[in-house]
Amino acid sequence: MYNLILFLVLLTLGYAVGQYAERRHYRSILEREEKYSGLPAIASKYPPQQPHYGQALVTGSTVVSVDYFKRFLAALRNLFGGRVTAYESLLDRARRESLLRMKQQAAALGADMVFNVKYETASISKGNGNTIGSIEVLAYGTALIAPPAR
Amino acid sequence: MRYRNPKIPEGINVSPGHPLRELALLAGAAILLIVILAFLLGQFGGRLARLLPFEHEAAIAPVELLNSDAGPALQGYIDALADRLTQRMELPEDMRISLRVDGGETFNAFATLGGNVLLYRGLLEALPHENALAMLLAHEIAHVAHRDPIVGIGRGAAVQLVFGLLFGDPNLAVLGSAGLYTQLHFSRAMERSADSAALAAVHGLYGHVAGARDLFNTIQAERVRSGSGEPPAVFNSHPLDQKRIEALDLLASERQWSRIGEVTPLPATFGRWLDEAAAASKDRSAH
Repeated sequence: MYNLILFLVLLTLGYAVGQYAERRHYRSILEREEKYSGLPAIASKYPPQQPHYGQALVTGSTVVSVDYFKRFLAALRNLFGGRVTAYESLLDRARRESLLRMKQQAAALGADMVFNVKYETASISKGNGNTIGSIEVLAYGTALIAPPAR
Repeated sequence: MRYRNPKIPEGINVSPGHPLRELALLAGAAILLIVILAFLLGQFGGRLARLLPFEHEAAIAPVELLNSDAGPALQGYIDALADRLTQRMELPEDMRISLRVDGGETFNAFATLGGNVLLYRGLLEALPHENALAMLLAHEIAHVAHRDPIVGIGRGAAVQLVFGLLFGDPNLAVLGSAGLYTQLHFSRAMERSADSAALAAVHGLYGHVAGARDLFNTIQAERVRSGSGEPPAVFNSHPLDQKRIEALDLLASERQWSRIGEVTPLPATFGRWLDEAAAASKDRSAH
């Protein structure tokens, strides 16, 4: 009985806190995406040759974990199969946050744009059985820094 | 060349739909699955348990939990009544019924493994006449004859075992004798069929079924008297008294059993016998 109560409390708490955090995060993401809209992140490997840009590796990394509610939802999903929608928004946030952090770094270097942008993910709790899954989303690319005007 | 990141519409990488809706859907489906699994397991366990020969069932009966506080006179009387009933109930050859009386106040009676039937003084005292007592005995004997106790335990044990293994913490104590004693749950179908068999036996014994329904009236009266709305313990899983009475009335009219007849009173000394049983029970708990 106590286990059930604990479970329900955790579930409710996970839901309430998780939803609140998610809404807040999305607001901040949209705001910063607007702010860095002048600093494009481009997937192409071939940067413009002129002017002679300075180059620097920039990275943005986010580690995310799930709340209790989403974990339970995903576990239920494991029974039936189908899209694990509970994790979709979480990973969407992680990807965008990583990209924003990368852009932030690039902006700090005074870059005009970032080229050859790639994503990587790594599972941190891989193989650790019962631990809550958390993953890292890493975005990296080459920041192109305009040469000082002569 | 101009490089830019156009603004991408929201909601492409995230499926729409409220998480609570998904939870309700998935949890509902999971619960349904578990209920179906439990039902199938129960049926399987029950079928398996029924295959256990009665003599083995007697060997695992929780005899240490079944005391009898009945003096020789009371024991002789209820044994004789039960004998007259069993003659009309087509019990298998090897099946023996042992009646025991507990002198406690509990308003209860139940059949358990090995043909053991335990009657509590609390219930016996409330019975108005022998016909109601016969109905009670026949009902419990019918449970034994139908192998309901072992089937009930088989069902409970199969469900507990598999769910225990699935979700961890398999409560294997269910297979011990204490478990057997507390695991008795009869389904409504079991109760109904025990009622029918009991009514047939009562009709066979007295030639009419007058007074048989007084057993249920007594139970219902106790329910009202105790006032808690809580039904007497063992009748928890029983179908509602009113529905049972209706079912019995229907059966009686279908078979054209007379509902009018003279009820046989209980022996004049019945009350004294019960007092003796109560005293014996106090003695036993004092030691």
